[in-house]
Amino acid sequence: MYRMAANRFLHHASLVKNSGGSSLLRFPILRTVITSSWFSTYADPQTFPNQTLHPSDSSTSSSSPTTAGDDPRQRRKNPRAEYEEEQDHVLQASLRHVIRFGWSEETMIAGAKEVGVSPSIVGSFPRKEAALVEFFMDDCLQRLIDRIDSGEELRQLIPSQRISKLVRIRLEMQAPYISKWPQALSFQAHPLNVPTSFKQRAMLVDEIWHAAGDEASDIDWYVKRTFLGGIYSATEIYMLTDRSPEFRDTWLFLDDRVKDAFDLKKTLQEATYLAEAVGAGMGSSLQGFVGKVFQR
Amino acid sequence: MALRLVTRNLRNRISPKLCSASLLHSHATSFGFKEVREEEKSQMVGKVFSNVASNYDLMNDFMSAGLHRLWKDRLVSELSPFPGMKHLDVAGGTGDVAFRILEIVNSIRRRALQDPINDDLQEETRIYVCDINQNMLNIGKNRAIERGLGEAKSLVWVQGDAEALSFEDNSMDGYTIAFGIRNVTHIEKVLTEAYRVLKRGGRFLCLELSHVEIPVFKELYDIYSFSVIPRLGEVVAGDRESYQYLVESIRRFPPQEKFASMIADAGFQKVKYENLVGGVVAIHSGIKI
Repeated sequence: MYRMAANRFLHHASLVKNSGGSSLLRFPILRTVITSSWFSTYADPQTFPNQTLHPSDSSTSSSSPTTAGDDPRQRRKNPRAEYEEEQDHVLQASLRHVIRFGWSEETMIAGAKEVGVSPSIVGSFPRKEAALVEFFMDDCLQRLIDRIDSGEELRQLIPSQRISKLVRIRLEMQAPYISKWPQALSFQAHPLNVPTSFKQRAMLVDEIWHAAGDEASDIDWYVKRTFLGGIYSATEIYMLTDRSPEFRDTWLFLDDRVKDAFDLKKTLQEATYLAEAVGAGMGSSLQGFVGKVFQR
Repeated sequence: MALRLVTRNLRNRISPKLCSASLLHSHATSFGFKEVREEEKSQMVGKVFSNVASNYDLMNDFMSAGLHRLWKDRLVSELSPFPGMKHLDVAGGTGDVAFRILEIVNSIRRRALQDPINDDLQEETRIYVCDINQNMLNIGKNRAIERGLGEAKSLVWVQGDAEALSFEDNSMDGYTIAFGIRNVTHIEKVLTEAYRVLKRGGRFLCLELSHVEIPVFKELYDIYSFSVIPRLGEVVAGDRESYQYLVESIRRFPPQEKFASMIADAGFQKVKYENLVGGVVAIHSGIKI
């Protein structure tokens, strides 16, 4: 998750040049969320010292070879201790075994054996199975971002279609694991894991809206994220029981929901205008009436 | 229970060698609050444990009001044992930690969830219980027999010195030392040996009585330690001096942060510690990468 945050920082640096004001809007709110969680869970090994990392201690030091020549800002945001790299390798390898063993300790043990590390390392993951699920979510989000940045097809679509497409791309990443996905969802719903899973979903939804070209900055921002969060979750759950070839029914369901949401937005807008018009009309007739009453 | 993460993989620049050397030297020559010669310390500790061996478990129950069982449970759950594991429990004389690990590995619930492949792995599990004191090991072996584990291939009782282990490099998945590191002469040698025998990805876990910092609780704990425990030792085990040594050695042992940095110095990564009961006991852990 933190690696992802660091990548986003880099993306932000490049995006600012491309898309002007809108990207700035999306970042500030999230950045505080990310950095506060960074510092509360890890005493960052490389911000402590002496940026004077000694090459002589390289046998036990945590500086990865790539940080040697990087600029200081990047080094501060991107410090990767060796054990974190190993943990990521183990988690990456474990994903390949999820289909067989589910999201469990066994999967992670198999992953560790594949990488060539003692399975004891599994005990050091904070919430074990949840760590694997969270890693997967981050990985998918990263892939989604890469797709967005590289994909041209989104430009031609209208917002509602863009959202539909993005949610579809994201959910397709889960398709290979669909048989074990209910287990992953149950881990995410566990009270201990809810803060992290909520944060990850919030980031995902925000990312999709941003890619769909959202410019909102007031209460709309929250309303939109909430709506999309609801659509995403509903589609995700629908997908769990969908047996149609290539999840055709799920995508139809998704399109319907997105259409509903946009219609609802239009309906609400129209309702607001109507209320305003009625109010204005009533107001003027009331004014007229009161005027007549007091004139007498 | 507070969880703090201390990851320091570099030595501090400010004359660390002098500081740590003097601290270690003082540990090597301290027997409780008494000063002894380095060579004598291990002998004196040996005598202590030969004396307490027969009543060791009973006294543990008395002194900690049975809490030591929960602490060991916590230690083993932190470890997350798995079938096929090669584990080394140092200073584990009477076998408490080893029995718990074996129990988890063999538990029915686990077996029910596994593939048949893993049953073979279960056969390969080896828990080595290493202790410098033969009396403690004998007590452990008897307890194993009582539990029906007398013939178990997975339990191996080895007499040995934590500072010079007879195991090969990179051979262990896990290393635990419960209430033992306080009694060694050279802490850094034990940590280096631990690093040596662990495989890549292996974990080091240390359960030890540690320092309490919480204001009022600290005073109560001191009163309990210095007044109640030696008296208990006298009454129950007939050995006041050994228990006096015990409580004094707790005070002489480095505090949590210092010990964590020593573990990091030995080469371990992701070093962190968890205080139980406000610091009366601390579980330090690290990974070898």
